[in-house]
Amino acid sequence: MVGPLRQGVTGKVWRRAFGSPIIILFVLPLVVSLLFALGAAFDLSAWQLLWAHPQLWPALGLSIFTGLMSVLLSASLAIIIVAGLYLSGWWPRLSFPIGAMLAMPHVALAIGLSFLIMPSGFLARSVALFSGWTTPPNWITNHDPYGLSLIAALVLKETPFLMWILISILNRQDVRDNFNGQRAVGLSLGHTMTSIWQRLYLPQIVPKLVWPLFVVFAYAATVVDMALVIGPTQPPTLATLVWADINDSQVLNNARGAAGAWLLTVAIAIVALGVWGLANVIFSRREWLTVGPAPRALIKVFFFARLKFSSLISVYLIITVLLVILSFAALWPFPNLWPEILSISAWSRVGLDPSAFFTSGVLAVSTTVTAFALVIAWMETQPQMRDKYVTLLSATALGVPAIVLALGQYRAFLQLGLTGSTFGLFLAHLLPVTAYMFIVLVGPYRSFDSRWQASASGLLASFPRFFWAIKLPLLKAPLLAASAIGFAVSFGQYVPAQLISAGRYSTLPMEAVTLTSGTNRPLTAAFTLLLMVPPLLVFMAAAHFGKSRWSKL
Amino acid sequence: MSLVLEKISAYLGDTRIFESLSLTIEPGEIVTVMGASGSGKTTLLAAIAGDLPTPFYAVGKVILNGHDMSKVRPEQRRIGRLFQDDLLFPHLTVGENLLFGVERGPKAMRTMQMKEALQRIDLVGLENRAPHTLSGGQRSRVALMRALLAKPDAMLLDEPFSKLDRALRATIRDYTYAHLQERKIPTLLVTHDFEDVPKAGRVIHV
Repeated sequence: MVGPLRQGVTGKVWRRAFGSPIIILFVLPLVVSLLFALGAAFDLSAWQLLWAHPQLWPALGLSIFTGLMSVLLSASLAIIIVAGLYLSGWWPRLSFPIGAMLAMPHVALAIGLSFLIMPSGFLARSVALFSGWTTPPNWITNHDPYGLSLIAALVLKETPFLMWILISILNRQDVRDNFNGQRAVGLSLGHTMTSIWQRLYLPQIVPKLVWPLFVVFAYAATVVDMALVIGPTQPPTLATLVWADINDSQVLNNARGAAGAWLLTVAIAIVALGVWGLANVIFSRREWLTVGPAPRALIKVFFFARLKFSSLISVYLIITVLLVILSFAALWPFPNLWPEILSISAWSRVGLDPSAFFTSGVLAVSTTVTAFALVIAWMETQPQMRDKYVTLLSATALGVPAIVLALGQYRAFLQLGLTGSTFGLFLAHLLPVTAYMFIVLVGPYRSFDSRWQASASGLLASFPRFFWAIKLPLLKAPLLAASAIGFAVSFGQYVPAQLISAGRYSTLPMEAVTLTSGTNRPLTAAFTLLLMVPPLLVFMAAAHFGKSRWSKL
Repeated sequence: MSLVLEKISAYLGDTRIFESLSLTIEPGEIVTVMGASGSGKTTLLAAIAGDLPTPFYAVGKVILNGHDMSKVRPEQRRIGRLFQDDLLFPHLTVGENLLFGVERGPKAMRTMQMKEALQRIDLVGLENRAPHTLSGGQRSRVALMRALLAKPDAMLLDEPFSKLDRALRATIRDYTYAHLQERKIPTLLVTHDFEDVPKAGRVIHV
């Protein structure tokens, strides 16, 4: 008799069970939340109330406008900067500044920017140096009616994100090899670098950008925390209108908010499809791709990329420095560039009640560690062909507007008695963290060369020994980077935190948003810094320890 | 048409890769540069094309038809290149790949040039096919024709036959050389395979 040969790891039943934690803690809550959110859409009276809302259509228009402008501007800027810096001397060093910018929570950037551009802000004070103003100008910068400052904040935040996506595509070994060859061919056929980007690189990259661009659009059109801080108010964006309804004490208004959230979601989907279709029609004119070589580029759009990138970093630096000064400024009359009286009273108030900091920190660490374990357990025990389901769900979690997802989550958790509980808050934070970490890790983890394991087995190393001594060290950089992203994502959560905490817990984004409606600027600045600094430190630690042992400082 | 190299030296940082290489390639002549891997053959070609990546640098002169090309941008040198891989653009059809290097002008004229080129390489009717659906030999011919349609004044071949299987190699090689000689294009070939050297062709060792 000939028996079957022993099979690889995927053959073991008990190992397959290790895939289940991600199902229980991530997939199930996500699917249940989506179902409950869907359930909230079928309430006829809520829709009637919504249609009667006088601000509905202007608010919807503002949301779509801010979303479209943000994605258009940040995508153009990201492409122009990345194309201009591609394979330049700066290219290998880009990941650090981009990662540092990514680590800043959205709402922290919005608060910092509002302090910069508000009529009594640092920008007006700088102008006052020359214009001789003695009172703040009557600029309408924060909360401007067209959402321009909101768009500016979103562009500042999404440009590094899209650059990061572009760079990770361009740095893949196969893409890099292909593009190097295509550049040499393109040049030898008489095409300029600009033409090579337009006709060769971008047509191959853009299809990979469709989902990230949609995520940016959906995020920008539905963002709540940033819009509360810096967005228009009369009328506000639809997301903030909906948010007020959802948090209202009237049940009728809650239902109207749910209907509004769905209206916004459907509108986003329709607009996205429309833009996608339009782009397809424009770019299906293939003659455009094969126009012969021109002697020189007509428009040199990729010029000054270093200047553009440096300006982007500068805004982040200025905002950070400004927040630090502001947190110590007890008295800072206009138009002085430096506070008259410095004090640590804001920081001592923070020190008296560190509970929000503590809650945010514990949530971020616990969700990152848990998501890390969930994702690794999945990758190690499940066949690669199943990844697509989790990837799809993760992408859904990031693409569905946070208000819709959180709404469903809130209703589901209410049924299960999880609102206001520690575990409920943990699950609500774990959801986006796991989604991000899975999407970030699936590529590096699955492309790990299986010959390492074969070779370790040949050296009689057990699986745990191989895993700890070979695999984790080799995957150190992406694992640490993913953890830093998970930490930052958890730290920046506002919408689910506010809903699920049910008033029993307070996290840093919640504190910061609440403070911006008050007048205590030093305290607001202090809380914003508390929100900014830990993700930045975690990112820097990840970058430091993620370095290969042979790379030079 | 002739390609003249005057005292070309290439360096990687402080390390010299090769020094003071001078050479005149007559119209239609194919000169072979041979050397082990790492001897700087590909660096030489990149230096001539003006596309040397940053840690490398080269000095010397590249003179094409009497014009000094040393300071001219790579896309304006009119120097064609063929590589180990055919490097057909994967998002363009066969016909679009050929059109990519055809100079600007009326659409009908460009299309006619493309169709004539397909005829010359016995691939009539394949213009709408995706490159990956072609066989290796077909792809090599398209790559050659794409380079020729741009009307180069000189040609650089970087082991373009090394990845073809043995049966196909000789055919594609003879075919390529015939086309280059017919158009009187001065050509520099780098290879480490003696079989690639054209009959009675000059060979330089680096």
